[in-house]
Amino acid sequence: MNLSRDDHFNVSPAAARVDLCDVRDEDLIVQVQNGQRKAYDELVSRYKGRLFSFILRMVKDADLAEELTQETLIRVYIHAAKYREIAKFSTWIFTIATNLVRNKMRQKSRRPWTISLNPAPDDDEVPVDPADTRADTSAEVEREELAALINEATSRIPEKYRIPFLLREVDQLSYEEIQQVTGLKLGTVRSRINRARNRFRLLIKPLLKNESLLAELEQIEARAAEDDDNDRH
Amino acid sequence: MRCSKAQEYLNLDLDGMLPPAATGDLLEHVDKCPTCREYRQDLELSQRLLGATAPTLPDNFDWKLQLKLNQTLKETTGGAAYPWIESGLDRGAWLRNFGTAAAMGMAAVLAFALFLGPMDQSPSSAPMASASLSTLGSDRLPLSSNFARGGTFGRQVRGGSPFTQPVSGGAVLDRGWSGSTFEDLQLIRRLRSENQNLSTRLAQAQLQIRLMRAKLDSTRENALDLPVDEP
Repeated sequence: MNLSRDDHFNVSPAAARVDLCDVRDEDLIVQVQNGQRKAYDELVSRYKGRLFSFILRMVKDADLAEELTQETLIRVYIHAAKYREIAKFSTWIFTIATNLVRNKMRQKSRRPWTISLNPAPDDDEVPVDPADTRADTSAEVEREELAALINEATSRIPEKYRIPFLLREVDQLSYEEIQQVTGLKLGTVRSRINRARNRFRLLIKPLLKNESLLAELEQIEARAAEDDDNDRH
Repeated sequence: MRCSKAQEYLNLDLDGMLPPAATGDLLEHVDKCPTCREYRQDLELSQRLLGATAPTLPDNFDWKLQLKLNQTLKETTGGAAYPWIESGLDRGAWLRNFGTAAAMGMAAVLAFALFLGPMDQSPSSAPMASASLSTLGSDRLPLSSNFARGGTFGRQVRGGSPFTQPVSGGAVLDRGWSGSTFEDLQLIRRLRSENQNLSTRLAQAQLQIRLMRAKLDSTRENALDLPVDEP
């Protein structure tokens, strides 16, 4: 059976999404289990951005991140019947994503002929170089450039700290959810998040002192708030 | 309060997990300590930076996902849109179905074996088989006798088939028959029906004999009651 979207909607996708926007994730996945494709589409729309954000900051490669995000969402669909409401849906989906990311990073690290261009672990706490962004102080730093700097800083956090850190800061998972995703003890989760935050803070310290960057940050936030308002209306 | 403890609390506070009892002490410390104040500011700014620079997905992400999902479904489930529903991926259901199928298969094999029955019987075992037949009322040997001889079920009818012999009485009934061809099966069926007819006729004859014997007995009684003619 071909899964064209039109086959599964009696109403338009947008209208269907409006109906489902107040439904809990856990109820949506049950609807997917019952063969309702629009519930799956709603879950995709809720999680694709968060997953991509998390994965990209883990693997630092946009194409690979997109591929792994797709893979995660496909696994959610294929294995929908295996989900049981003993854990939150967000925990389940991020566990899938984290496992995929870990496997991919392990595969990468096993390849003997690739040479990592990342800094040595000893350089973890060397701040990211903001020279490019400050070269033209009169011009606003583009969001993409700022994002690149942040991603660079994030990638310098060791993996074992980075996973709980991103799950907390980017995906807003609770400590208990992160504990379930990573399989770590609650105290370990907490301490790793704190360590990662400290490290990240030191890495972006030059950015935090940069007035123009902070002004740009405020503009970005204002634009994002406007976009949210437009989306709601 | 020491700065390390205060910074730990600041992290908890950022996540909304600081116990209310510790809030007062923390605020008091942060008011007095510029390092911890800066630390708190940095944490808040870091969070804002991470949030503001969240990467955006390519525009065609949904389309590519759709394409990949279709492809995956085609490869893994032969194109079933809901694989867990359409192909019964439910492990319990699969086991139940398998169990039922296995049981039915076993039953069919057993029924077939019983239907054909053992064929390889030496003449020496015939009396035992005949004895069993009288109790079973069947045209086949009991299974145990064949197992005891190491016989098997469903063997092909050999040369010198019992079907060439006249179909009457024990000689036929004592044999366990099996065949591998359609003709064999037809012959077995025909002989079985003939056997049934003979059994019916035998039962009728036995009943007749019993009636006649009873009549004869009553005649004798009457005869005894008759007055003996004096010579």
